[in-house]
Amino acid sequence: MTTTERPQPIPDPIDLDRAEEARLRTAAGLSLSVTQRRGEYAGFEDIGLPDRPPQTEREAEVYTLDEGEMLLNMGPQHPSTHGVMRLVVKLRGEVIVDIDPVLGYLHRGIEKLCENATYTTVMTYVDPMDYLAVMHNEHAPAMAFEKLYGIEAPKRAEYIRALVVELERVASHGLMMGFLSLDMGGLTPILYAFINRDEVVDLLSAISGQRMLFNFFRIGGVNWDVNDEFLSRLGTWRSHVLKNIEMNEHLITDNEIFRGRTIGMGVLSGRDAIALGVSGPNLRASGVAFDVRKAHPYSIYRELEFDLITQESGDVYARYLQRIAEIKQSIHLIDQIIDRMPHGPVQAQVPGIVRPRPGRAYAAVESPRGLYSVYAISDGGPTPYRFRMRDPSFISLQALPKLMPGHLVADTMAVMASFDPVMGGVDK
Amino acid sequence: MDTELLLGIGRFLLATTLLLLLTVPTAFVIIQMELKVIARMNLRLGPNRVGPGGLFQSTIHGFKVLAKEDTIPDQADNTTFTLAPWMVYMAAAMSMIVMPFAPGAIAADFSIGIVYFFAVIGLSVVGLLVAGWASYNKYSLLGGLRSAAQMVSYEIPLTLSVVGAVVLAGTLSFSELIGWQREHGWLFIWQPVGLVIFYIASLAEINRTPFDMIEADSELVAGPFTEYSGMRFGFFFFAEYVALFIMSGILISLFFGGWLAPWPFPAQLDGFAGTLWGILWFFLKTYIFVFVAVWLRATLPRVRVDQLMGMAWKVMLPIALVNLFITAIVVVVFDL
Repeated sequence: MTTTERPQPIPDPIDLDRAEEARLRTAAGLSLSVTQRRGEYAGFEDIGLPDRPPQTEREAEVYTLDEGEMLLNMGPQHPSTHGVMRLVVKLRGEVIVDIDPVLGYLHRGIEKLCENATYTTVMTYVDPMDYLAVMHNEHAPAMAFEKLYGIEAPKRAEYIRALVVELERVASHGLMMGFLSLDMGGLTPILYAFINRDEVVDLLSAISGQRMLFNFFRIGGVNWDVNDEFLSRLGTWRSHVLKNIEMNEHLITDNEIFRGRTIGMGVLSGRDAIALGVSGPNLRASGVAFDVRKAHPYSIYRELEFDLITQESGDVYARYLQRIAEIKQSIHLIDQIIDRMPHGPVQAQVPGIVRPRPGRAYAAVESPRGLYSVYAISDGGPTPYRFRMRDPSFISLQALPKLMPGHLVADTMAVMASFDPVMGGVDK
Repeated sequence: MDTELLLGIGRFLLATTLLLLLTVPTAFVIIQMELKVIARMNLRLGPNRVGPGGLFQSTIHGFKVLAKEDTIPDQADNTTFTLAPWMVYMAAAMSMIVMPFAPGAIAADFSIGIVYFFAVIGLSVVGLLVAGWASYNKYSLLGGLRSAAQMVSYEIPLTLSVVGAVVLAGTLSFSELIGWQREHGWLFIWQPVGLVIFYIASLAEINRTPFDMIEADSELVAGPFTEYSGMRFGFFFFAEYVALFIMSGILISLFFGGWLAPWPFPAQLDGFAGTLWGILWFFLKTYIFVFVAVWLRATLPRVRVDQLMGMAWKVMLPIALVNLFITAIVVVVFDL
């Protein structure tokens, strides 16, 4: 007699995962996962709480809820968190009680990558950090490594560097105008801003050959000299860039709704800004006159004239106005650079693979988001022993927990956009 | 039953069917308009692949929504979750019953049509609140509560702004109101303040920019609609655009003479010709205001929720009351 054995049903992998997770959680002494607690609206306030004891005092403060408070998780997948930022917002109604930025969703270990790369290839790794200021990302390591090698870039190379860097600053600040408006629900300015940025990107791709991650700077110079296409595009761009910026300004600056939502919003005092390490336009909008280009002139900025503009109020509107003022200063700088650019080579003589002498070098540049600096230590080997980058948007995000309490949910995005963080730079 | 009643029921059923059918092309046309007009204002081309010049893009969107999987979150309240889109859509569709398209082309010419309209259009807030609560999502919850606060507040200035016109014309029926405008001139000349308040409040009532904080994509992802997908989301979407059409239609009926041509030609077109002529002008004027709403969406950022409520209670309500007061005095003194 043959018995027909019924085949075992194939278990659903999701069920297996659940069982495994439950087993591991029980073994680790953790509570069961949220998905297993079903039923009525009980537990509504639990979602978002980490199911482990708080690790730090700050974590305990944020994740302990009083009566009538709830946690709202914004991001990392959220329409307006500028990439993959995650904010855990503690709310009382719609009023923010506390805010906890959770970082690291775009971490690529760039510092470590750079420490395993030769000095020349480091330039390719720093590109995707702050992807709206790629030229600035390359500028600081180039300067630091030149100090290590003890060489200097030719004069013409320095002028080209300053030119591309200022071009990129115009594009980045222009985008900030658009994103700030987009985070308040204005649809159009972002597209006008991208038209401006696209022209700059075309310009930079004409000189470097790439559209976003330019890989243009070299130790001791730049990759290419300016060419005809670049210069002709630059002329066209220069003839209407101010008009384009103004077109965007007409939509935003005097708009009553925009002013109502930005003036007096997210006020960062100069003292707090310095204490938190905020730099760049965000610091100058709080009334502190600090610009790396003025305070510690590098490259050719000593020879160029430009004003150090500051705003007084330190609110979102001031940070917006500061960007527009800096766009105009950058265009003024570009005019001077084009007028004074000398002839000559664009690359100093550098031997193939060089091992710099053991030592340390620090270089700081003014990126569109603030003080971007690089600290490189050489132990005499072909790769940097330590390579550390200070990214300004990472530092500016520190101000969020200080500024946000008392504001409404709607203001989270406006205040965050006013600091203009780029998550590629924050998470490195 | 007598034949008159049966005929009445038959006429009503026919009219409501036609109106329900009308909502579909209306939504498609307005979505297409929004896609293309905003694109042009953004210096983009907009959709241009489906049909000549991208004409069928919104239709394709509609079919896409139909074909998509309809998901319900694990912990959502099933019954209310599935009912909510229906509530919102029916509020919009039901209010169309009193829409005065043309002489003889009103589904039901109530003597209290204006009261009926404001009563029914306000029902959509129930659907939104239910959607927000049933979704078991914090964004939905915030959006739903915002919708309750916003729509209930704005209903007051919205209704009060019309009372002035009603006092002037002495009627609550749309067709009689339009008849009054034929004799005395369009009501926006008599009630400019009422018009402004009505327009702002109507934008808030149907959640259009700059008052779209119920969806507020940059803050609340999609507000009460966050957890909806497939055709359930499609119904919310449809209802929103149909509501825009309805509000524009009611606006022109109240303040811009409804089906009346802007000049007194032809003085009297009777019968079917008059109906067609009226429908032409009705749709023309309505779509002008639909266009203005789309234009505003491309231009303005969003108002914050506390500013919105402050404006309703501190600015618009007092102005509407003063407007009503002055209108009433004028009517009594000059015996209009």
